[in-house]
Amino acid sequence: MVGPRYASTVRQIIAWLLVALFVFPIYHWVTVAFKTPKEIFDKPPNVWRFTPTVENFEQVFGISLGFGFGDVREVLPGGGNFYMAPRVWDSIVIAVFSTILAVTVATLASYALSRMRFRGQQHFVNWVLSTRMMPPVAVAIPMFFLFKNVGLLDTYTGLILVHSLMNLPLAVLLMKSFFDDIPKEIDESATIDGASRWLIFRRIILPMAKGGLAATAVLAFIFSWTEFLFVLTLSQGSIQTVPVASSTFVTSIGTAWGNMAALGTASMVPAFLFILLVQKHLVRGLTLGSLKQ
Amino acid sequence: MATVEYRNIVKNFGAVEVLRGLSFQIEPETFTVLLGPSGCGKTTLLRLTAGLEIMTSGDVLIAGERVNDVHPRDRDIAMVFQNYALYPAMKVFDNIAFSLQVRKLSPDEIRRRVGEAAATLNITDYLDRYPKELSGGQRQRVAMGRAMVRDATVFLFDEPLSNLDAKLRAHMRVEIRQLHDRLGSTSIYVTHDQIEAMTMADEIVLMHDGEIEQIGTPDEVYDRPANRFVADFIGTPSMNFLSGEVVADNGSPAFRAENVQVSLPDSVPATSGRKITCGLRPADLSLSETGSINGKLILAEKTGADIHLHVAVGDRNIVAVVPRSANVAAGQTVRLAIDPAKVHLFDAVTQHRVN
Ligand SMILES: Nc1ncnc2c1ncn2[C@@H]1O[C@H](COP(=O)(O)OP(=O)(O)O)[C@@H](O)[C@H]1O
Ligand SMILES: [Mg+2]
Repeated sequence: MVGPRYASTVRQIIAWLLVALFVFPIYHWVTVAFKTPKEIFDKPPNVWRFTPTVENFEQVFGISLGFGFGDVREVLPGGGNFYMAPRVWDSIVIAVFSTILAVTVATLASYALSRMRFRGQQHFVNWVLSTRMMPPVAVAIPMFFLFKNVGLLDTYTGLILVHSLMNLPLAVLLMKSFFDDIPKEIDESATIDGASRWLIFRRIILPMAKGGLAATAVLAFIFSWTEFLFVLTLSQGSIQTVPVASSTFVTSIGTAWGNMAALGTASMVPAFLFILLVQKHLVRGLTLGSLKQ
Repeated sequence: MATVEYRNIVKNFGAVEVLRGLSFQIEPETFTVLLGPSGCGKTTLLRLTAGLEIMTSGDVLIAGERVNDVHPRDRDIAMVFQNYALYPAMKVFDNIAFSLQVRKLSPDEIRRRVGEAAATLNITDYLDRYPKELSGGQRQRVAMGRAMVRDATVFLFDEPLSNLDAKLRAHMRVEIRQLHDRLGSTSIYVTHDQIEAMTMADEIVLMHDGEIEQIGTPDEVYDRPANRFVADFIGTPSMNFLSGEVVADNGSPAFRAENVQVSLPDSVPATSGRKITCGLRPADLSLSETGSINGKLILAEKTGADIHLHVAVGDRNIVAVVPRSANVAAGQTVRLAIDPAKVHLFDAVTQHRVN
């Protein structure tokens, strides 16, 4: 007979194994960032014991961490550059502003879609969603010419707009589902109390939808943070986000694995911080206390 | 201090007719209860009054003014929703104060009014809490407070007590009624609970399937139900119905069915052979050696205060409520009697009251 305690132990072991399976590649990637080029190619790979070095980070971020000083602006064998601090900045600017824009527009739109009734409403919702079904690569080239003509190529504004646009459909649907969960009696009660639609939205509904806002913001941020194709086609070097910048470590002569891992590792930090920041709002039960039990 | 008048209210949801042409008027300062089984359209009628729903046809008049096109905001009504619909992101104080803040009253005035309402409702200690930190009964009070501070001309209540336990419900019935008397407002109160209706109402509007079955005071509705539906709906245990016919018994009218003969008041035309449904309230029946309703006692249910007798009369079961002192045992034959004035007669076909 299998006792409940035994079963729970087995469950725990399986859970830990699964976690290890998912975490190991990240761990390995992080260790690569702290290895010298020689150690990176040790065979068999030395996962646990190596001499950590911050050289990769020094090169990528152009700052001396006190353990030695490399030429931070060193030109890569392929003609590129190790110095990536501005790329992280670009990523932050684009991700933050496109998230703000997408969440703002989506919140307003989805509240209207959730509460107001107009002709063809369901078609409108379907249409919003369908825009997300189009493969981005299908619009990348037209978008390039469009941007070129209106002068948005290689600008923050352009990339922020594109990332917001890509995020809107999901953000709208996600926020709509949150608003749909808020009983309409709450709006109605506030209406009878004399509040205007805007006041109801701002004072009553929005605070209830905080969890939805947080979830939507996380999704939008991560999308922008990891997006590759649009940045690749719509920027020409003066602005470049981390994913595209990472690809420049792959050159015709060789790949700067250590530097690439350093940039990748470092780029996890802002996304991680952002998620920590909004995480406390990611709560369930948004109507808690409003209704009869 | 306002009348509310409904003229030919029709409301369809798609193809479903929910309200089928209601017309009635509610007098100022009365406590009117819309009573009826679930799904009969009570909430819909209340929402139409508030302006939250648009009627298919008909007019609603508040204080003599047609309000069909008046926004809910401007109708000067207060409403307690069936699910309370508190604002979860606001503390209790702000929940109650919200309508006053929106109307830009001075902070002092707001504090005074909220304080007053909270004191009346006994929730002063909870003003600083969030709704989620309250019990069901406390939430109900907050919902009441939100309506109270409004000073509205018409108060609408949608089954506000339906989720409370029996004791709290009985207590809140009294409180709501007292509140109404103190505010001197016009109140419309929706419920499916006939006890609530009987205890609280000045006037009961009994609805069924989107139509009005009867309008009257609790006494009128209880003593002279307009039709069989009303008779059945009001009163616990519910009225007994027997099908039979009117006969002339020595020249005076009587009701006859299997094992049953009940004298009727002389006002009933003694047209022999007329098919009729006879309604007898359990509490109006009494045990009597000379009783003309004969049956066999199946079960004597003791409720504490009295005894409910389940008696098989012919092929029907009827219930009689008798004092606890009655000495009865299951299986015995019993005779029941009733005062002719308390017999309710309904036409067997139309189900309308005939006496
Ligand atoms: N928004 C709506 N859409 C469609 N049908 C509705 C809607 N609201 C109510 N109904 C229907 O109208 C009828 C009356 O509902 P309601 O007024 O809520 O009844 P009550 O409050 O008396 O229980 C019900 O059959 C219900 O299904
Ligand atoms: Mg209802």
